[in-house]
Amino acid sequence: MIRRVWREDFRIIGYYTGLVTIGVGLLMLVPMVTSLVFREWASALDFAISAALALLVGYVLALVSHTKSTPGLTHAMVIAAGSWLVAMVLSGVPYMLSGHMKSFLDACFDTLSGYTTTGMFLLQDLDHISQGLNMWRHLLTYVGGQGIVVLALTFLIGSTGGAFKIMVGEGKEEKLEPNVRHIAVLIWRISLIYLGVGTVVLGAIAMANGIKPYLAFFHGAYIFMSAWSTGGFAPYSQNMLYYHSSAMEIASMVFFILGSFNFALHYAVWSGNRKEILRNVEIVSFTITVLTTFSLVCLALMQRGVYPNAVALFRRGFFQLISGHTTTGQSNIYARTFVREWGPLGMLATTIAMAIGASAASTGGGFKGLRMGIIVKGIATDIRKLLSPERAVVTGHYHHLHDNVISDGVVKGAAVIVVLYVLIYVVGAVVGMAYGYPMADALFESVSAGSNTGLSCGVTQAGMPTLLKIVYMLEMWMGRLEFLSVFTLFGFIATSFRSMRRRKAAV
Amino acid sequence: MKRVCAVLMMLALAALITAPVCATAAQPPVLSTTELVENSYKWDGKTVSFKGEVLQDLMVREDGTWMNLSDDNNTAMGVFVPKGVATPTISHTEDYRTVGDVVLITGVFHRVCVQHEGQTDIHAVSVTVLTPGSAKANPIHPDRVVWFVVLAGLLGLVMWFYYRKPGRGTEH
Repeated sequence: MIRRVWREDFRIIGYYTGLVTIGVGLLMLVPMVTSLVFREWASALDFAISAALALLVGYVLALVSHTKSTPGLTHAMVIAAGSWLVAMVLSGVPYMLSGHMKSFLDACFDTLSGYTTTGMFLLQDLDHISQGLNMWRHLLTYVGGQGIVVLALTFLIGSTGGAFKIMVGEGKEEKLEPNVRHIAVLIWRISLIYLGVGTVVLGAIAMANGIKPYLAFFHGAYIFMSAWSTGGFAPYSQNMLYYHSSAMEIASMVFFILGSFNFALHYAVWSGNRKEILRNVEIVSFTITVLTTFSLVCLALMQRGVYPNAVALFRRGFFQLISGHTTTGQSNIYARTFVREWGPLGMLATTIAMAIGASAASTGGGFKGLRMGIIVKGIATDIRKLLSPERAVVTGHYHHLHDNVISDGVVKGAAVIVVLYVLIYVVGAVVGMAYGYPMADALFESVSAGSNTGLSCGVTQAGMPTLLKIVYMLEMWMGRLEFLSVFTLFGFIATSFRSMRRRKAAV
Repeated sequence: MKRVCAVLMMLALAALITAPVCATAAQPPVLSTTELVENSYKWDGKTVSFKGEVLQDLMVREDGTWMNLSDDNNTAMGVFVPKGVATPTISHTEDYRTVGDVVLITGVFHRVCVQHEGQTDIHAVSVTVLTPGSAKANPIHPDRVVWFVVLAGLLGLVMWFYYRKPGRGTEH
């Protein structure tokens, strides 16, 4: 039986959403300062207005719904899903004020794409935006990768108080430490250390490639934030093609592969358990699926004679494939090259890689390697059961941080999420095809949105149909939050209306 | 006979005069990024012209200089200018406060460049500055200043209400 919704439920949700919104407002101060440093006065003012608005909304929400109650699981799920929507709308304000968006829907598309670490964009004339706006784009994706609720937990919420449940709603279910604030701080510590290292490494490469030192630092920071969060944005429309540098691509590739790994795996390695890298089911699954899909890409590219030699094939083919598989979306070829040169098999292999995606509790999207591993091991266990004598007790295991027994419940849980992902991929593809896009293009783009990858074969443009934009946005949102919190939000809204009707009937 | 010779002489002279004009007419077409990418096989290895605004970074390497030219909304092409190719001074490159020089380059288009590990690019043989860049105005709109003042005032008021109770913001 579904419980009724009371006023206190709204207060809890409003209060915590308010806190997350305050976090978003404070975050806008970073691009504002960037604009001031570059003497981009108009852009700085846009961010000042946007920050004031976000803080105002956040404080009003926190004030009117102030409560000392702690959130339960339902609240946590609604807060996680709802906060992302509120953050999306408010973060779109500086985009809109910049004059580079055709509509507010497009601005919301870009901010959601940033927060969900997708990397698709509808922004116009990217090559001429301010440094402040570029910082904002990359900051969104960096923060989105760690989870905006994680950010709020770290800085705004003092102790546990049901906060772990909100993190679970945001797709960060690994409990690395007993205290949730410690988990949030740990995630941020790992990410900030990598940010420092990444900015220096990529900045140095950019400088060696001929970019002015003070700009090289920003290029390094942007590309790192994009790579680590498996986001896929870049400061210029050519994406990684802008740099004409294999060193930049290799360094970025290392960071986005690291970013696509489970935070729990990072923690295990940081804690001295280095063997975990070789034994973890997600790493095994990732290695197998990368090799398989890359073999398909090689076959497609060699059949069509796209690249003149192995070096070119590896530099373009492997980078694109691994960028898709980790759901990063950085690109060192033009979007239309997929259609014009790679052909259906090359696109299909990349689509499969994107659909599978990265690791659970990472910055990446897709089904996740953990679920793939569990399902494959579950099938293998069932086959072994069938081949064994009836009295034999056959159990399957998988290694993720420690040895786990494969139960029917675990396999079912993984399979349900995979089916839901397939469902959103198919829905997006069907809507694309209904608008006249070829099947390969529609499927590629839909999977890219739903798995939060961001690679494009040219469908995603400001001129594309509005319904398709909305479908891709829903795919990005659901894909990032892994459905549960989004469904809870929908359920909560429906229950709220039912409770209101009952109260009116009682009066 | 003399008249025929004179006519032939005139024709020969006319042919000599118009020959360079025909050569000029055969100058490579000015193409866009979209055209080059969409029809990459058609233009692969051909001499083409490309016009665009120089984006922010001119990347000087050992064997030449990379420049990225923006020719439309969110489309740009990488142009490699090998050492030895005469390059005019690029006085302005694009940034938020500057319109970059618009240059016309002529060069060989590579669908997948062997020298640059499969990159789609143009290797320039000539570079000409068509329009020098200039400073770009990004004026502050007075109405936005008013909006900021109003929002900041309201925010101050709400924050005062929020924090007037001691201990707010530290619970949970």
